[in-house]
Formats: sequence, C-alpha cells, structure tokens
Amino acid sequence: MDASIFTNIFGYYTAILPMIIMIIGAMVMPAVYMLTKKRAAVTAVSLVVVVVSAVINLIMLHYIGTMGDYIYLGGTSATFSGLFVYTSFAGLMIMLFQIVAFFAILVSGSSREVTKLHFGAYGALMLIATTGMMFVVAASDLIGIFVGVEAVSISSYALVTLKRADPRAAEAGVKYVIIGGLSTALTIYGISMVYGSLGTIALDGLQVAFVAKGWTWGLVIGIITMIAGYGFKIAAAPFHMWAPDVYEGAATPVSMFLATGSKKMGLAVFFKVFLVMFIGVTAVKVEPVQYLFAIIAAVSMTVGNVVAIAQNNIKRMLAYSSIAQAGYILIAMAVMTPYALTGGLFHMFTHVFMKGGAFLIVGALICAGVGEKISDYNGLARRSPLMAFAMMLFLFSLAGVPPLAGFTSKFVLFSGAIYDGGAVSTWVWLAFIAILNSAISLYYYVRVIKAMYIEKPAKGTEGKLSYPKVFAIAIALCAIAVVVLGIYPNFLLEPCATAAKDLLGVF
Amino acid sequence: MDFNTLILPLLILVPLIGAVLTLFMGGNRAKYANLVALVFTLITLVLSLVVMITPVGELDKFNFTADWINAGGLKMSFIFVVDGLSILMVFLTAMLEVLVMAFSYKQSDRPNYFYALLLAIEVGLMGVYLSADYFLFYIMWEVSLIPMYFLISWYGGPRRHYSAIKFFIYTHVASLIMLIGIFCMVFESAHLAGSATVDFSFAFVKQWMAGADSVFQILVFAMLFFGFAVKMPAVPFHTWLPDAHVEAPTAGSVLLAGVMLKMGSYGIIRVCIEALPGALGSWQYIVIAIGLVSMIYGAYACIAQRDLKKMVAYSSISHMGLVMVAMGAAMGGAAAGDANLVKMGIEFAIFQMFAHGLISGMLFLVCGTAGHNFGTREIPLMGGMAGKVPVYAAFMMFAFMASLGLPGLIGFWGEFGIIAAFYQWIEPNGMLYLLVICLLSLLLTAGYYLWAMQRTLFGRLTTKLDFAHVHDVDRVEAVVLGVLAFAIAIYGFWPDLALSYVTGYAQAWAVI
Repeated sequence: MDASIFTNIFGYYTAILPMIIMIIGAMVMPAVYMLTKKRAAVTAVSLVVVVVSAVINLIMLHYIGTMGDYIYLGGTSATFSGLFVYTSFAGLMIMLFQIVAFFAILVSGSSREVTKLHFGAYGALMLIATTGMMFVVAASDLIGIFVGVEAVSISSYALVTLKRADPRAAEAGVKYVIIGGLSTALTIYGISMVYGSLGTIALDGLQVAFVAKGWTWGLVIGIITMIAGYGFKIAAAPFHMWAPDVYEGAATPVSMFLATGSKKMGLAVFFKVFLVMFIGVTAVKVEPVQYLFAIIAAVSMTVGNVVAIAQNNIKRMLAYSSIAQAGYILIAMAVMTPYALTGGLFHMFTHVFMKGGAFLIVGALICAGVGEKISDYNGLARRSPLMAFAMMLFLFSLAGVPPLAGFTSKFVLFSGAIYDGGAVSTWVWLAFIAILNSAISLYYYVRVIKAMYIEKPAKGTEGKLSYPKVFAIAIALCAIAVVVLGIYPNFLLEPCATAAKDLLGVF
Repeated sequence: MDFNTLILPLLILVPLIGAVLTLFMGGNRAKYANLVALVFTLITLVLSLVVMITPVGELDKFNFTADWINAGGLKMSFIFVVDGLSILMVFLTAMLEVLVMAFSYKQSDRPNYFYALLLAIEVGLMGVYLSADYFLFYIMWEVSLIPMYFLISWYGGPRRHYSAIKFFIYTHVASLIMLIGIFCMVFESAHLAGSATVDFSFAFVKQWMAGADSVFQILVFAMLFFGFAVKMPAVPFHTWLPDAHVEAPTAGSVLLAGVMLKMGSYGIIRVCIEALPGALGSWQYIVIAIGLVSMIYGAYACIAQRDLKKMVAYSSISHMGLVMVAMGAAMGGAAAGDANLVKMGIEFAIFQMFAHGLISGMLFLVCGTAGHNFGTREIPLMGGMAGKVPVYAAFMMFAFMASLGLPGLIGFWGEFGIIAAFYQWIEPNGMLYLLVICLLSLLLTAGYYLWAMQRTLFGRLTTKLDFAHVHDVDRVEAVVLGVLAFAIAIYGFWPDLALSYVTGYAQAWAVI
C-alpha cells in the first residue's frame, strides 16, 4: 500500500486531506448532539474523526517522499497555487495537534467542568481549533498562517467561556478576547509592514528578499510587531500575563488543550516564519534577532519559574511552568541550528505528554471533588496512589529528572545551545540560564510531590477518590509515553531530526 | 553471548527487580519484604564477588555494550565496564547494601517502601560505577538521588523535610552544572573528531579530549569539578551533608556516607583526571587547597558537635578531604611527569575511598544504634555507658579507632599513603609547611574521637538517661557490626587485598 490511493482520489487536495476530514467532523458534530442528546455520542464521533484523520496523516507522513507534486494544494499553477504544503514538518506537527485533540476530547465528555449544554458546539469548536492549527503548520505564506491562527483563536475564546457556571471563566474569556484581539492586530500590522518592505509574503521567498534588501525600518517594525503578536500566542514573557488567568478560568481539558496545543502552534509559527527567514544568513546581520530571541527565551524561563514558586493554585503553577517551557523551546530560535530545532520539536512532543498529563490529573481530581489548591493535594498518595504516582512522573519529567521524557528532550534542546555543529558555541550562557532555571523549577514541582507523598490529608478528606475512568485511560497513556520517550526516544527523535532538516531545507 | 558479559548489567538489574518486587509487598506480605530484599542484595553481592575473584588483567571480559539511542546525530549506548577503579566501589556498594538491609530488619513504618528505596539507591550507585557512557552515567547519577530524597523525607528525623529538599536541590544543581561540562566535553570531542554523530562513550571523549585546547579543558574541568565536589562534599560546598546525615535514617546515612559520597571522588578520577589531562597542572593547587581546607575544617567542626551523628558527618568531610589531597597530588604528578607520584596518589585515593566506605559505614551504624537503643545521640546526655552496654562500647571504640587511623586497621593505610604522596608533591614545590596542616588535622581527629569516647563511654555513669529503656546491641546488629569490624581489621592487616586491584589501574596511569 502506498499513498497513491489518496492521490488518485483526492488529487491535489491530498495535501489537506487530514484537515478536510476534521472539518467534516466539526460540521456534523452539532447535528450528532441534536439527534442523540448524548455527550458520549459526540465524544465517540469526534474521537473517530480525529483517529481517522491521524491515521491518514501517519500514512502520508510515511509516504511523503513518493507523493511528489501532490503535496502542494492545487499544484503550482492552480488558483490556490501552493497555499498549503504538506511537509514532514507539517506532518509531524499535525500529529502533535491530533494527539492533543485526542486527549482533550476523550476526557471532555466526562469532565464535570465542561458544560452539558452546547456539547455539540464544544466538540465542533475543539475540532475546528485543531484544524486551524493543522492549517497553520501546512501554510506556505503569512496569510495562510494568519487565517489558521484566527480560526484557532476564535474557537478557543468560545471554548474558554463555555464553562458558564464559573465567573472566573467569564473573566478569563474577556481577558483572552482582548489580548487575542491585540495580538491579531499586531500580527496583521506586522505582516503588512513585512510585505511592504520585502514585497512578498511567501515563506520561501522571505529569506531571498531579506538578503536582497537588508534591514529597513519598516522591516524592523514589522518583525518586532509580528514577534510580539505571536509572542502572545505562545505566552512568552513579556506577553504572558493572560495565560495564568485563562488556564485557571477555563475548564481543565480546555486549559490542557491551550497549554499543549495552541502554544505549540505559536511556536511552530516562529519556526516556520522567523527561523526559516533568518537561518544561515550571513550577508545581512541577523545577530540582533538571535539576541532578541535569546533574551525573550531567558526572560520567559526565568519569569515563568520564579513566579511559579509563589503560586498556590496548581493550574496557575502549571501555567507559569508552561511559560517557562516556552522559554526553553525558544532556545532553538536563538541558536538557529537544525540540531537545536530537533531538540525544540522533541521537547514540544514531550511537553504534550507531561504537561498534558499533569493537567489531566488536575481535571480528574476536580471531578473527584479535590480543589485546585496545592494544599488540597495533601496526602494524595494515600487517597489515590496511582494518580499521585502519575503526577510525580509528570512533575519530575517537567523538571527534567532522568530517565523521563522531559530529561531526554531537555538534554537535546539544551545541548543545542552548546553545539552548533562545530566547536562549542557562543550560546553556552543560554544553556547555563536554562539549566539553572531547571533547578529552580524543581523546587516548586517537589512542593507538589511533597504535598502528595509526605503531608497528611486534611480532616474529612481521607477517603479514597473516584474519578471518571476515561481520565485514568488518558493519564495512563501519557504516563507510558513519558517513560517510554525517556528511555527509548529513537522513534520520535529521528522524525524530529528529519522534520527539522526538512523545514530548513525545503524552503 | 557468554555469561560473563551479562554480569555487569545484572548487577544493576537484580536490585531493580528487587526494588519493584518489594515495592508491592505491602499489607500482609510486608513481613517477607525484608527477606526478599535481603535475598536480592545477596545475589548482587555474589555477582560482584564473581567479578572480584577475577584477576585484574582479565576484567575486560565483563565489558558489555549495546546500542541504545542512535538518532538525530546523537549516539548513546549501554556500555558497562569494570576496572581497578570501579571494582572496589562495586564491591563496597554490594556489601554495604546487604549489611544495611540486615540491619534495618526492624523497620515497621511502611517497610516495603523502605527496602524498595534502599534497593533503588543500589541501582543508581551500581550504574554510576559501571557505566562508561556519559548519558548513561548522568542518568544513573540522578537516579541515585531520588530514592535518597524519599528515604530522608519519609523516614528521617524531625527536620527531615528541610534536609531532604536541601539535599535534593543542592546536589541537583551541582549535577546540572556537571551536565553542561559533559555537553561541552562531548560536543567538542565530536567537533575535534570531525564526526557527524556525537558519541557519548567515555572512550571516544577520552580519545579526543586530550588534544583539546588547554584553556577549554580548564573551564570544563571547573564545571565538572563543581558537580563532583558538591557530592564529595568539599568545603565550601558541604552544607547539605550534616543536615542530610543527621536527619536520614541509619540505613540511609550508611549508604550516603559509605558509597554515595564516593560518587564524587570517583567522578573526579574517572572524568576530570582521566579525560582532561590538559587541565590537571592548573587545577592541582586548587584541588589540594580545597582538600586541606576540608580536612582541617571538618575536623575542627567535629569538636563542637553535641550529636554523635553530626560529629561523624563532619568527620566524613574531613576524611574525604584526604581523598581530595591525594587526587591533587596525583594531578600534580601527572602535570610534572612524575609517574611514581601519579601512581601513588591515585592508588591511595582509591584505597582511602574504600577504607572510608567501610569505616564510615560502621560509624553511622554505631551512631544509629545509639539512637535506637539509648533513645538519644546527644553526647552530653551520655556518660559511663561502657559499663552498661559493653558490646556496644567495644564496637564504638573499634570504629572510632579505625577512623582516627590506628595502625593495623584499614584507616591507617589510607592516611599513611596519602600523606606520603602529599609529601612527594610538596617537596619539589617547597611548601613543606603545608604538612603542618595535615598533621594538625590528624591530631584534631584523634582529639575529637578520644574526647567523644571519654564523654560517652567512660567517666561517671550519666543520670540523664532512663536506663530501663537502654539495651545493648541485639544479635543482628552485632553480626552486622562484626562483619564490618572484621573487614576493617582484615584489610588493615593485609591492605594488599584491596590495593592489588587498584595497582593495575594506577599502573596504567603511570605509563602516561
């Protein structure tokens, strides 16, 4: 079997085949809910849609070399002329988004935080947001990216506010919409400035035009506003203020979806736009951009980790920790080598499992009646040993303790700051900051572990916990991934390396 | 594949399987947990003895290599190697594990977790001493940390939470700095070799690092040395140790002092000295200085301690300072091309590590026994105990005498050899007055031990203890202490039993 089955039937639309399936799924979802009135039905149908789309994506990823011209939507001469390009980078990222969507949808139906009303819309929004992310990584020009990001943003505004009973959700929604609007405005303004300066918005033409025309004030403003605009999406400092409020206010499956999915989309945009534009340029000075990213990375990780220490709400703590994680991944943007990008991609994957797993546990415990405060986790090891153990795995992995996945991916990512293919690079200081931050982060992760394993449960809460079984399934899958990717990362590290080289080579 | 190549992986796997098994022996099965754990440590000990009875020249036959990660331009492998340096540490780990497992048979609070944690520590320790791949080495280094954290914070004394987290963060930061050093070293080697894949094996790095720029080597040495020195611990990075030791349960203290501190000095010899020959000349003075300061500071701090266990903890700092001095002397010898000095320094550094492993193990068992059997470890509360608990007093005297370097016991040979090597180092440097510091610290050591003995064992019988609850060592404790005393005496009487393993390794050094 090879991909000719797809290309024979779908022709040039093969490039967006996984997205098409997701969109169809999103459209039928309200109807499914209207006809069945069952959340389980919506969950099941959405999961089937995601899985079918994921299988198709995996097949395409596997046969990507043999599909030739068909991976360009509309070929090179048609109306859409290559607006979406399926590369191995896109394929890999699509896989990541599908994993996130799978976990989020799997648990949403059983979570008591997710509103029962409008569950059809909820499922549809989830699928549309995922589709938007998939389009972003497959887009080949700035407008394609912009449209995809908007699809994600608008759906996630609604997703955040759908937890209607909680006033914090309304506050989070309002904040998210306003910040999102600001981000959109900045982005489109930046794109217009870049277009005005370079005369192109095609990603593969940006570097050529940049080398030919060099720095102009218009370009400087354009690049900075774009970085700010997308900086809001990944919640890198100093554009991070919204994230803790939104993650705290939203239903936990949605928080998990935003922290692991939406953020990765923003990072993918950084890689696709700025990394591809600036990497390897020697004719024009690009060090200022590298230093800008290095500073954003260093500030993000420091702010994220230091402020996380002061948090008492576990969702806020995880939010700050994911600000720090975005900082780690931005190291790849500062160093600008395929090797560092490999580390960045790999860390994005491991982050899905460890941060996603931690959020899932928080969600499961909320369903079991446990609060969101860290002190509510006191004695969790006695009340639910498996949950506590899984949480310990995820937190140790986030802190980068071997032999878990977070360690292995940080190992590659941080060593990317030291190794730029030649001698020890000038970015060693960034590795130092990252590693010291890792040590700081251990402090607040261990605080949770201490609460779970060492403190005694508060009076009246000694009983065993019961939570929806689907949460247990999702958490178990994440825990297995965290352990397996830590001990045997070959099968994911190699595709990441391929995707990194592909992204930096194709364009 | 013959059985020999499987022994080293089994040394790690057997405790791992044991740890998982005992972990699930809660509830009714808890009473067998100690037995199961003991059996697994005994199997490990037997396996390590199989390695021990092999002539040093033939240790190569145990080497184990298997592919692990080979992706994205990185190459990590499972490489396990045993040589004259690691074999004594492996034996020490296996032996102390058996002894502490037997010693802690009375553990009643969550015993299954307790034994599982002890076995998990053994996994990490064995891994550190056996692995010959930097990735694997680092993972094992960290793996030994987590069970120790839980051991202290679950089973420790009143200030256990503070001590456990201090221990964890302190050593974790140190190992992260070490990780950067490893990165620099490994990637620079790949660069020098001009190879596209980055090989993390010790052999590859050693081969290429020797030719690296000496300033680079000096900087990398600094990062690695920091990581190892905190673990040793050397003044001024020692502050975690008294806290961790005092709060840890006895079994944890024994492993911490007996084998975990050795990870630091082992790392300095294995990584810093072996792989970075260009940095040795510049670093010898700092290493010697840190060693001397640790010796004198540790001994000086001992005098002031009221808690027996804390005193022994500070004495560990002092005795690991001796190891540091020996390594510094060897580094000086390597820089000056003095093969004899290198051999002597390395040889006695390793010997002292082994000796201190046995002695400090016994010391902490003695202190722990005091805590369990008398209800206190405070020196001022005791007095005239020798009349009440004669067997205990004998063991305590024996351990203290061994630690202060009584000729005929193992501690003497380590100190003797190290001071001889140190003398050889200072003679050409013309700093003979440094010997005074050495002698002063030996004097202080003798002083605090004798004084502590006098205050606890002899003199007027104390009135501050309730003697209804004081009892002498029981049979298991006596056997455990007796085995250690026997080992200390045998190796003291015939140090060549241990030195013969080391000499081959040190000889290989002298060639360079």
